[in-house]
Amino acid sequence: MDKLLKYGLFVWLAVVICFAIVAPIPAVGTMGERARILYFHVPTAWVSTVAFIMALFYGAQYIRKRDILYDYKAASAAALGLLFAILATVTGAIWAKFEWGAFWNWDPRQTSIFVLILVYGAYFALRSAVESEEQRAKLSSVYSILAGITVPFFVFIFPRIVDSLHPDPIVNSSGKVKMDTYMLIVFLSSLAGFTGLFVWMLNLRVRIAKLNMKENQA
Amino acid sequence: MEALTQYSNYIVLAITQIIWLGLFIYMLSVDKKIKNIEKK
Repeated sequence: MDKLLKYGLFVWLAVVICFAIVAPIPAVGTMGERARILYFHVPTAWVSTVAFIMALFYGAQYIRKRDILYDYKAASAAALGLLFAILATVTGAIWAKFEWGAFWNWDPRQTSIFVLILVYGAYFALRSAVESEEQRAKLSSVYSILAGITVPFFVFIFPRIVDSLHPDPIVNSSGKVKMDTYMLIVFLSSLAGFTGLFVWMLNLRVRIAKLNMKENQA
Repeated sequence: MEALTQYSNYIVLAITQIIWLGLFIYMLSVDKKIKNIEKK
């Protein structure tokens, strides 16, 4: 079953990649072929948001239960969140070069993801600065909770209250989805595939952390 | 050069699929290694 899920994910994402890159795309404003970035850029940004929220959740769990495994889970989720946030920034910057003429424009979306990368970069700087495992777990759990609270503001609120060149979010300010049905199906499939990939990556990282923990205890 | 432009989508598709296949094989092998250590 476990193996079936993994191979299923492989086939799922391979098919999504085919549809996302080769299948005809409906006209989206003046973007043309450049609109295909949506199938990769938005899912990476989505996964980073989910990962940061999970880091908040595991941080809170550590504070409640004082189980070091939750600290490892929080750190793993934050690391993957940072990786996907960087991927979202890079894909966005490449798109911006062709659409806006420059890789970086300090657009509200670019600024907010840049701040999030700094916030979570600082999380790892904090972790590496504390030697005692317990002290590190305590401090970084509190930090991951505080950092997680800022995520909805930077991802959902700030880019919507400031004028931006960035295309409308998928769910616009009136709460409706403005997207061609065909594009929406490919987009949602991509979102599901990337989320599955994240879950698998997180599972691997947590299992490695558990093994390290056992080795340290032995 | 014209062929590159004409088939650009297929070239990007091939590169992306190779990257995805590489990542998948890598993750599968890490998974297997972890499983072996866990069994021990």
